[in-house]
Amino acid sequence: MSTSAPPRSQRSQFSRLVSDPKARGLFAQAVVGAILIFSIWYLYSQTVYNMEKRGLTAGFDFLWTTAGFDIGFHMIDYSPTDTFSRVFLVGIINTLFVSAIAIVLATLLGFIVGIARLSSNWLIARIAATYVEFIRNTPLLLQILVWYGGVFTLLPPPRQSLEFGFGAFALNNRALLLPAPIDEGLFWITVLAFVAGVILTFGIARRARLLREATGEAPKWGWKALTLIVVLPGVVYLLTGLPLSWDVPALSGFNFQGGFAVTPPFLALVLALTIYTSTFIAEIVRAGILSVGKGQTEAAHSLGLPATRTLKLVIIPQAMRAIIPPLISQYLNIVKNSSLGVAIAYPDLVAVWMQTSLNQAGRAIEIVATTMLFYMTVSLTISSLLNIYNRRVQLKER
Amino acid sequence: MDGTQDSRGQRAVEKFVPKAERPPPMPVSGAIPWMRRNLFSTVVDSIVTIVVSGMLGVVIWNIVEWGIVDAVWTADNRRECMDQSMDGACWAGPALWFDNFIYGLYPETERWRVNLGAVVLALWLAPLFFARVTAKIPTAASVVLTYPLFASYLFYGGEKGIFWTAISALGLTMFIMALANAALELSGGRSIGKVMEDRFGLTSFRRKAIPVIVLWIAVAVVWSGVELEIVRTVKWGGLFVTLVISGIGITFALPAGIMLALGRRSRLPLIKYVCVVFIEVFRSVPLITVLFMATTMVPLFLPEGVTFDKLLRAIVAVCLFAAAYMAEVVRGGLQSVPKGQPEAAAALGLDYWRTTSLIVMPQALKLMIPNILSNFIGLFKDTTLVAIIGLFDLLGMVKAMSNDTNWIGLVDEPYLIAAFIYFCGCFAMSRYAKSLEQRLSTERR
Repeated sequence: MSTSAPPRSQRSQFSRLVSDPKARGLFAQAVVGAILIFSIWYLYSQTVYNMEKRGLTAGFDFLWTTAGFDIGFHMIDYSPTDTFSRVFLVGIINTLFVSAIAIVLATLLGFIVGIARLSSNWLIARIAATYVEFIRNTPLLLQILVWYGGVFTLLPPPRQSLEFGFGAFALNNRALLLPAPIDEGLFWITVLAFVAGVILTFGIARRARLLREATGEAPKWGWKALTLIVVLPGVVYLLTGLPLSWDVPALSGFNFQGGFAVTPPFLALVLALTIYTSTFIAEIVRAGILSVGKGQTEAAHSLGLPATRTLKLVIIPQAMRAIIPPLISQYLNIVKNSSLGVAIAYPDLVAVWMQTSLNQAGRAIEIVATTMLFYMTVSLTISSLLNIYNRRVQLKER
Repeated sequence: MDGTQDSRGQRAVEKFVPKAERPPPMPVSGAIPWMRRNLFSTVVDSIVTIVVSGMLGVVIWNIVEWGIVDAVWTADNRRECMDQSMDGACWAGPALWFDNFIYGLYPETERWRVNLGAVVLALWLAPLFFARVTAKIPTAASVVLTYPLFASYLFYGGEKGIFWTAISALGLTMFIMALANAALELSGGRSIGKVMEDRFGLTSFRRKAIPVIVLWIAVAVVWSGVELEIVRTVKWGGLFVTLVISGIGITFALPAGIMLALGRRSRLPLIKYVCVVFIEVFRSVPLITVLFMATTMVPLFLPEGVTFDKLLRAIVAVCLFAAAYMAEVVRGGLQSVPKGQPEAAAALGLDYWRTTSLIVMPQALKLMIPNILSNFIGLFKDTTLVAIIGLFDLLGMVKAMSNDTNWIGLVDEPYLIAAFIYFCGCFAMSRYAKSLEQRLSTERR
């Protein structure tokens, strides 16, 4: 190109192009796209080259080969002769199981602590606040390690187990032993009765709500629900001849036999997750209750609602709107944080899949990708549910 | 009897008899009324207070007995501890290991370098807390951009070469500038830039740069004579590494998060979706999977002969992760800026970058400061995860101590020390964030 200025028309065309936002946008995107494509191509070719050099192969065929290692804790049947796909499943179920239990417990504890922080009793409020501040400001991993190494592995050996509940439960440095229910064949009828009771209760509640909205009458349905959910399955259970028996753990030799054994890593992980997350939930609950204006309580009182109904009908419904979205993201955090079980050898997805299987099978890319895919699926599912909830709540607002 | 009638049915003249005095009103201030109001307002309340304080007393007494009364303070190993006291804490172990908790396996003769790095950082940041120092943004920017250049050589050491000498000397130069500026402003009230303009007539940016460059060259010449012993990153550890990882993480995360957040709001579809995918992927997976990815997959991506330090890999993973979270914080801040602001800027004829950097971002960043700090607290706690992939951060050192032959099985005491250190850091930061939040929110009203 010559150094002399280009003809005037060309130049103005060029400068027009430069100042045109559309053209600039396209150019920026082209640059980003080019960088993206180049880096993907570079990483791909580099990886292929490296893998060839090290004699590694790619693909998902390893999923159907024998894993060959044992897993310390599994909810579904598993043996070392099973395939890697089974390992993946065991890991997912272990992750979801520990998360589900921690979610239930953390919600309960979090609500209790959150309400305790608002207690009019100074001592209770201070204890709750200290608990929240101390737990929230120390790392979760440290808490998990303390529960595991500092509590559960220091328990007495099986022969000196701590027993409680008239010997039905036992706790030692190898496990927490619970009595396990054994189905003798007809228990499914009781389960069926329970499910039917729950469904019918939903129906009754719905009809009561519709009636109230239409006429203003509020029929009482609490006792009906109790009958359907508790009495009906109970009667069915009795009529089918008590189909459950309990397998109580008993000491034989150096260890316990029978019952359902929960391992120390599981206990440590559930406890640490519960306690850690409960502090965040407590703050959410507290903020949610405080977010309901004082005028609401006063208005309810001036309408003659007693304190309990004010709480039930005025404060809690409005507080829930502020509580539920951050609460759900805490649930998501529990699922993600359960991956820290890898530090104490709880066989969650990360431990059995990203660690053991990756070492055994060596398929780094496939294994990392599937693990991330699992967590992304959980996360996207939960956040889309949250969006649906938010939309419903917002419609009521205005 | 006043008020009664006599026998003739006529009212007798009532004699004034004062009623008994009412008791004085309950005092509303002082310890006893306070307790009556807050601890014993009802019967249930009183029972709860008594039971809970009894339980609390037992717990506290047990802790004091274990941790102080029966504790052992000097011993050479766990056996000696147990010989002195069976059921007390053994603080002798953590006391002997305390330096390792802070520095890891950093050679003892070189630990002054870590201390020096900390002192330089503290001095550099100190002017930010004085109201009289006006050049806060240049100071903060110089810390963020050039402190890592200086500190990386200070901590790592080894042969410098020309390039590395120049780079690390730039950090040192900026440190000198920041200190000089702070000294000038605290004594005379004028920033170094103003002094250059008024005293020496250096009005344009280019002219101001000349003395800085001269200083830089001078520093580099002196600095080139200094050579520090090399300390490989495998020896780095303890709180030092925790702070290195979280510090680099947050300094990288802020600019990267800003770019990602702007990208996510962009009208250009390709840029928008690249940012969305990046943010959502890293936010939906646990940090430990990212760390495992960095340790297992990065070697596959690199060309032959290029090896990546384990610490560096962890830092890269933490940076990517922190950037995604920071992007959401920034997005929250951007959304809280009223729409009229960018519209007004556009009406004045400012282009996208000017609108963003002069109008939207300053307002958004100010609102975000508390959230950025709480994000940093999270990152500080999350760096413990690098212990899982075999680095010796504070938690890793604590774990290493309870596996040491002299102290094997000593678990609770070192963990408590670590918990205390983490607690102090996080609690102080969260308090600071809270006070900032209050200050900023009153300013806005």
